[in-house]
Amino acid sequence: MSKRIFKLFIPLIALAMVLLPLLAACNSSGGGASAGVDSLVIYNWEDYIDGGDSEMGRNDIRDDFADYYYQVTGRKLNVTYTTFDTNETMLTKVLKGDAKVDLICPSEYAIEKLLTAGLLQNQKALYSFLKPQLDEYGLSLDYMSSVGLGDGAIEPDIMQVIKSQFGAIQSGSSTHDMTEYMVPYMWGTLGILYNKSVISEEDLQTYGWGVLWNEQHSNLLENKILMKDSVRDTYAAALFYMYEYGKLPQKYSDISSAQDVINITDDEMLEAAEAILTEQREHISGYEVDFGKDDMLNEVVYADFAWSGDALWAIEESYDEQTDDYFLGYYCPTGENPMTHRQRFSNIWYDGWVIPNTVKNPLAAMLFIDYMCRPQNAIRNSIEIGYTCAVAKDRLSSAEDVLSYIEEQEYDVDEYFDDIGRYPTIDSSLGVMRDFGPRNDALVNMWQRAKAGSAVNLSLLIIIAVIVAVIVIALSAYFIAQALKLRPRKL
Amino acid sequence: MKKIVLKKFRLTKKVFSFPYILFLLLFVIIPLVLILVNAFLDGDNHFTFGNFKTFFTSPASTIVLGNSLLVGVITTAICLILGYPVAYILSKMSSGRLIVLLYVLPMFINFLIRTLATKAIFIAMNVELGMGTVLFGMVYNYLPFMIMPLHTTISGIDKSYYEAAQDLGADKATVFLKTTLPLSVSGIISGITMVFIPTISSFAISQLLSNGKIFLFGDSIQLSFEQNLYGVGSIMSLVMLAFVLISNLIMNKFNANSDNVRRSLW
Repeated sequence: MSKRIFKLFIPLIALAMVLLPLLAACNSSGGGASAGVDSLVIYNWEDYIDGGDSEMGRNDIRDDFADYYYQVTGRKLNVTYTTFDTNETMLTKVLKGDAKVDLICPSEYAIEKLLTAGLLQNQKALYSFLKPQLDEYGLSLDYMSSVGLGDGAIEPDIMQVIKSQFGAIQSGSSTHDMTEYMVPYMWGTLGILYNKSVISEEDLQTYGWGVLWNEQHSNLLENKILMKDSVRDTYAAALFYMYEYGKLPQKYSDISSAQDVINITDDEMLEAAEAILTEQREHISGYEVDFGKDDMLNEVVYADFAWSGDALWAIEESYDEQTDDYFLGYYCPTGENPMTHRQRFSNIWYDGWVIPNTVKNPLAAMLFIDYMCRPQNAIRNSIEIGYTCAVAKDRLSSAEDVLSYIEEQEYDVDEYFDDIGRYPTIDSSLGVMRDFGPRNDALVNMWQRAKAGSAVNLSLLIIIAVIVAVIVIALSAYFIAQALKLRPRKL
Repeated sequence: MKKIVLKKFRLTKKVFSFPYILFLLLFVIIPLVLILVNAFLDGDNHFTFGNFKTFFTSPASTIVLGNSLLVGVITTAICLILGYPVAYILSKMSSGRLIVLLYVLPMFINFLIRTLATKAIFIAMNVELGMGTVLFGMVYNYLPFMIMPLHTTISGIDKSYYEAAQDLGADKATVFLKTTLPLSVSGIISGITMVFIPTISSFAISQLLSNGKIFLFGDSIQLSFEQNLYGVGSIMSLVMLAFVLISNLIMNKFNANSDNVRRSLW
């Protein structure tokens, strides 16, 4: 018996001996620094940075950073860039300790979650730790908002929102101020990307969020609406819609701020949202996270529940030479609904750079954040990806090289900064979504139910099923009869 | 000690199966155990039966499961009805093998690309995406899996059966019903298995061809794991596994029966 086990083990050991060095090699090439070369591992959203354009003669901003790093420190830098597609994917990896990275760029609620789990580095503390080294290189990091040098280059209004919402995050027994742990990178709102020829400005003003439920009963729009296949966003839309149309359950009648509305996750609210989302299924084409922009541009659908940055990108692409106009528009519902006389709310979100505890090269990480916050670099990223950078508007508009870059990219400077879709007024009608904590599971279960629908439209299916059943029964009856008839008789 | 072991070790045929056994252990057995363990853990890694309660008391899971089974049955039936005549006719043709290759050729293109292309065609034709388009996509993707085994089985049938039946005065319909059909049952069974089981667990096709409106069991599992609900997702996977095992068992039963049918022909 034991011999057999031994025999089994020999090839196992042999295989392990072959595989282990291979695995080790893979690992070290990913994270380790060979002599004289530093490394920086960045974990960011897909398509969320200026990747350069060889035709326009523009470098990849990551290469530019490596050059800058070489200039100030005299050491070469190897930038490894990995991406995630949802906050949840990223969270799963980081919370389970599978992501050995130096920098992450998640959304605010995901940062809250990471901070609560105690996985982030305090950048202010990191700054004082690195101070001698920074002094040696003659650097100050004064574009960053997290190191105790004021708001840096970041928009003070945004810092205000973060401070008020995430100023005191509990992690274990200590309290943390999120502004010391993250530096905002991009921000935006949730709203409606619409086709101007189907939905008029007036429709939007009248129906607000109701457009996504086809409240105007437009035949053209019916079944031509796309929602986000992302539970938190679609849930927020349902809440805003219910608030605007007075459809919230009775017990929430005294709620009056965007902030309060979008952070309710108790059972009664989930139930109400489920009913509203199930009702919406009748009017929409479906749920998406990636093809909405393309479908809008191809005029397959006429309204899409969208993030502002995606919407701005799509509008840019929708230029029609014949009419000399853009056929898509973006509307972030605000103001009062003229029919129900109730306020419209929306969501403001922002993504920011955080340094996780797995950081190996804090200096490069801090330098990278600082580099990204420089107006010239922020505008490069912003124009490339369509989202609004978190660097203060007046810092951008006062920098000569930023203005010339905007013009070089064929934008009108005034139009660029006055676009209400790109720079909405930050006030109390925009709420920040917090981490739902343990209630998140209940929310996901609600989403499962809403997506399952009541049941499939059965009329056609029943006909097919009956035909199929008849054929199957007939065939099996035939076979059984044959088998019985032909069974060899006992002698 | 070690020397003795090495001396006793001989390179027999069995040794060559060890890498595969190792593979099986690493990528089939261990993941299954992990699923089983996860099914009993809540978010904080404590033992719980709560996941079972969440899954089995939710009406959504029954609806989703029911829809998936329905889609599976309908797809399989349509594939069989479409595939059998094709396989039969092709097995009678001398160039049949070549034409079967044409049917199988699309399989070499990744199914995701094919499905996206199908979607683009539907949109261009102004067809509303929904149950109909999902069924079309399923049939389109899994039809080759039906035709292949059927064609192999039918062309493997000895021609002398037909000749004997004709000699004995059977007309064409009788020849088909009494020789070809009973003799191809094993092909039908493996065709059904190869279509039904992947259909009930597929997720991308339904998502793409209905814009996420048709939500099948595979989609539900994917969503659970994506949202970090490992417990519920694991239970769904176990339920799926149970369905696969049950349908396999039934198919095997049928196959055993069909052997009897074949024997009874003698």
